[in-house]
Amino acid sequence: MRKVLASIIVLIFIFPIFFLITSSFKNNIDLFSLPPKLFFFDLDFSAYERVFGFSKFLKFDSSYSELFLTSRIIDSLIIGLGSSSLTLIIGVYAGYHISRVNFKFKRYLIISILSARMMPLVSIAIPVYFVYEKINLLDTYIGIIFVHTFINLPLAVLLLKSFFDEVPKQIDENAFIDGASKMKILHKLVVPCAKSGIAVTFILSLIFSWTEFICALMIGQMNVKTIPVQASILKTIPSWDMMAAFTTISIIPVFILILMVKKHFVRGLTLGTVKEQTHTSL
Amino acid sequence: MTPQKSYSLPSFMNSDSSLPWLLPLITMLIVFAIIPFFYNIYLSFHEFVPAKRALLFVGWDNWIRLFTDGVFWGSLKVSLYYTFMCLLIQLVLGMGIALLIDSDDPGFGIIRSILTLTLVIPPAIAGMIFLIMEDANYGLIPWLLKSIGLIGPEDTILADPTLALWGVMIVDIWQWTPFMVLILVAGLRSLPSEPFESAVIDGARPFQVFRRLTLPMLHKVIAVAVLIRGIDLWRMVDYVFVLTSGGPGTATYTLSLYSWQRFTFVQWGYGATISLFSLIIILIVGNAFIHFAKVKW
Repeated sequence: MRKVLASIIVLIFIFPIFFLITSSFKNNIDLFSLPPKLFFFDLDFSAYERVFGFSKFLKFDSSYSELFLTSRIIDSLIIGLGSSSLTLIIGVYAGYHISRVNFKFKRYLIISILSARMMPLVSIAIPVYFVYEKINLLDTYIGIIFVHTFINLPLAVLLLKSFFDEVPKQIDENAFIDGASKMKILHKLVVPCAKSGIAVTFILSLIFSWTEFICALMIGQMNVKTIPVQASILKTIPSWDMMAAFTTISIIPVFILILMVKKHFVRGLTLGTVKEQTHTSL
Repeated sequence: MTPQKSYSLPSFMNSDSSLPWLLPLITMLIVFAIIPFFYNIYLSFHEFVPAKRALLFVGWDNWIRLFTDGVFWGSLKVSLYYTFMCLLIQLVLGMGIALLIDSDDPGFGIIRSILTLTLVIPPAIAGMIFLIMEDANYGLIPWLLKSIGLIGPEDTILADPTLALWGVMIVDIWQWTPFMVLILVAGLRSLPSEPFESAVIDGARPFQVFRRLTLPMLHKVIAVAVLIRGIDLWRMVDYVFVLTSGGPGTATYTLSLYSWQRFTFVQWGYGATISLFSLIIILIVGNAFIHFAKVKW
């Protein structure tokens, strides 16, 4: 009974995703039919051809020319991988230090990290826009990479701190007595111990950079557009099958990524405070 | 044989000091949090004057305009309503579903992993999914609501001033209720089983157990979930941007969207004033919440 009810709830939650993915394979008649054709419809891949910009369509309709999904994916990947790498480099050192050392302003540092997490992204994006305009970082990869790094840093630092907290302090202390330098202890001992935590942080940063919208919209102008930005432009070209195909392709990679780290996902969402019990099953 | 020179760093830069470890982080915080904060303050006392093509000092004009602007008060109301209603619905729904799927059975493990999926969809994309599903003519949701008679045959969702905000909130509730579910399930799974067993032996009713045992033991987890969800609800802009762009009229302007929209209308100073207002509110409320709910990191 409980299982049946739970399954129904889950079906409700995945229905929009299912509906979207099936819509991307429908032809223009099935797409608009009410009641909707959920399972039985003619397969039609033309939306994918148009979204990737393969089709003959391009030759006489310039409004599709901005839709080269491949280059949008590349933009999103460059920004995502760049910013999560930078986040990780900054986060490992800061997280390790916060985890191990009781320095003077630790409480205030954590408060500032959390306050940074609270900032409405618009209030970052407007000033950053003007600063970037002066130093020519508008519409560049590196500009968006820096902003996304900042957005992901609170998550990364606090999550990495919680993973480093789990590495026993004895390891550090013994190595220190043996004369290893602090940097060496971190690089050779602690990082390998917290390997999976670091991987989780990297993947979560990548996902949140992939999904970030308003900063990418303001800083990317013409050349650099991430996937959510392109999606917001796409809605002005009301072509449902293209919208569906575009979204399907853009969410499949994150689905694969999240299933890799689902065990630690809750921990990431709560910035390292709530740990999921390790289950015997799954 | 050259004498070996020893390059020694100043004492605040060696690894015993905190500075080198935290320097990159602090630099990022200064560049992207402190500087924008003060730049926002600077902008809020200036305004772009198109005739002179320059930012000119205008004193308190932006702030006076802010407090006399009906659209601003409307957007503040929308932001508050949106944040509180979504938070409440997501918390209640999330708690219900979490209690339902809190079990060792492997089947529920699969259900949990399916529920993670909605959380990683870019919000702008989730907005697009519902843009299709809430379309006035061919959308699935209006069709369903019409066929069970909840809305009239001529009604629309996203173009109706009273329904539009709910049309946006439904996306948020759909996408983020699993967030609450997953966090609360993780909290429930970590509770010890002894108090619950003895409560059952003492003949406590399920609601009493929930009220007297589960809720108090879970309050830290709930506090974290409410804090993080509250922050994200307050600064939400993606859904309204994609679904309604603030319309119809100004019915679904949130503070963030209104600020962004003023910015695109080259009222840079006023846009910055709105975003600064929203920033100050969330900093005060958020930090007060962390303090009083005793959330620990």
